[in-house]
Amino acid sequence: MAHIHLGEGSFPLWALVLWTTLGVALVSAVVYRIRKGGIETHQVALAGIGAAASFAVFQLNIPVWGGIHMNLTGLVGVLAGPLLGALIALVVNIFSAALGHGAVGLLGANTLVNATEAVVAYYAFKTLLRMDWDVFPAGASAATLGLSAGAVLMGVIIVVSGVNGSALPRGDLAVAVAGLVGLNLGVAVIEGVLTGFVVQFLASVRPDLVGVTDRAARGESTGVTA
Amino acid sequence: MTTLSNHVPDPRLVTAVAEHGDGPLHRVNPWTKVGTVGALVLAVTVFDRLVLLAGLYVAVLVVYGSAGLPYRRLLGWYTLPLLFVVSVAGPLAFLEPGTPVWGAVSTPLGELSVTWAGLVLFAELGCRSLTVVTFALAASMTTRYTHVAYVLGRLLPRPIDQIALLTYRFTFVVLETLEDLVTAALARGANLSEFWANRRLYARILGTTMLSAIERSERLVKSMEARGYDGDITLYGDVPRPPALELAVVVGSYVLVVGYAAVAVYEVGL
Repeated sequence: MAHIHLGEGSFPLWALVLWTTLGVALVSAVVYRIRKGGIETHQVALAGIGAAASFAVFQLNIPVWGGIHMNLTGLVGVLAGPLLGALIALVVNIFSAALGHGAVGLLGANTLVNATEAVVAYYAFKTLLRMDWDVFPAGASAATLGLSAGAVLMGVIIVVSGVNGSALPRGDLAVAVAGLVGLNLGVAVIEGVLTGFVVQFLASVRPDLVGVTDRAARGESTGVTA
Repeated sequence: MTTLSNHVPDPRLVTAVAEHGDGPLHRVNPWTKVGTVGALVLAVTVFDRLVLLAGLYVAVLVVYGSAGLPYRRLLGWYTLPLLFVVSVAGPLAFLEPGTPVWGAVSTPLGELSVTWAGLVLFAELGCRSLTVVTFALAASMTTRYTHVAYVLGRLLPRPIDQIALLTYRFTFVVLETLEDLVTAALARGANLSEFWANRRLYARILGTTMLSAIERSERLVKSMEARGYDGDITLYGDVPRPPALELAVVVGSYVLVVGYAAVAVYEVGL
């Protein structure tokens, strides 16, 4: 998750409409694909409880730079896949907005950002595993890549939209937003490393969850126990 | 909850206040609250004057207080929304063209100064964000679990509604698991105050939380299928339509906001 959500009222009305439309289009496409393929009960259960876990994990304060919170969106993408990952991102955003984190009006924009993180993390993880990377570096790199893509997209959304009430030209706004993107990229690396350790832990106890069953026999123990 | 963060609202506290409270906002129809959130989102997006935005924010604060909700906790819960405001409007306070407030300070990058326009923008963004955050929290803390579940079930398309309903139901369970794991680690002498030295412990806590959630979902599948789950989690509650007075207030809010935007912001001729 790009840790700092876009705040309510930040963008002019046209941008709110634009990002909401794009967010609805993305979610509609995902729902269409899922319905067309026929959703299984276990997928609904996994997505529902995965979203609950992602939402709950946000409560944990990670003591970096005075305290950061993470939803492990990259991990959600790796575990649930791109389609369910995108829906989980939406549901987590809805619940987060209800508790004052994020924005009701910018659910579309925040979902685009977080779905990007889950989707990129999923495909990066699969690609790196095919390249025979170990689980930890693959998980850490995939999550970092996904979260970085989300952070950059978030910066792009702000620059394209412009800040409500600001007379600053887009070029200067890009400079102003660079700090926010940089902060999110820093958090992406931390969350990426943490995700790598979590994926490594999961691979050691339930390799089927991260798709490394065939490697389990030759993999070494992480030394991490539940 | 001492082991987890105190500047993120705890869903258990929010739900407890919603279930056991009896303030004026508890008696307002949930659909009215949904409609009001929409009107507020529109208002903070189109209002273009600080005095209007500040007035709206104060009004929402009054509503929050009159519902018997805690102001002290609200300050902590503002941390994350304000992080966005500070991250974006902080630099803009310096970059925004306008009259410097205290005069320029020389830096290696050139002269730097906070401008009046930048300060106003900062205050505006703060009011815009906190207005909706405050009302969203007020609505969450005054709407019963069954009503929230019903509204989610009606607003979201399938299968998102099913996912959201399961998320809402199991957030509390997963939170208990997470808190138990943190408490157990602390009881065994763990020190969670430094991330890097404890990265494997954090991974173990988060990984076990995820694993527990996934295994719970696997058990849930069996119970859902045993009860004949066919893609529909039945909701037994019902939320009636809002009474005429509340409906009039919501419609009136939209008329006011759209009217103001049309006349004062977009200068539509009458």
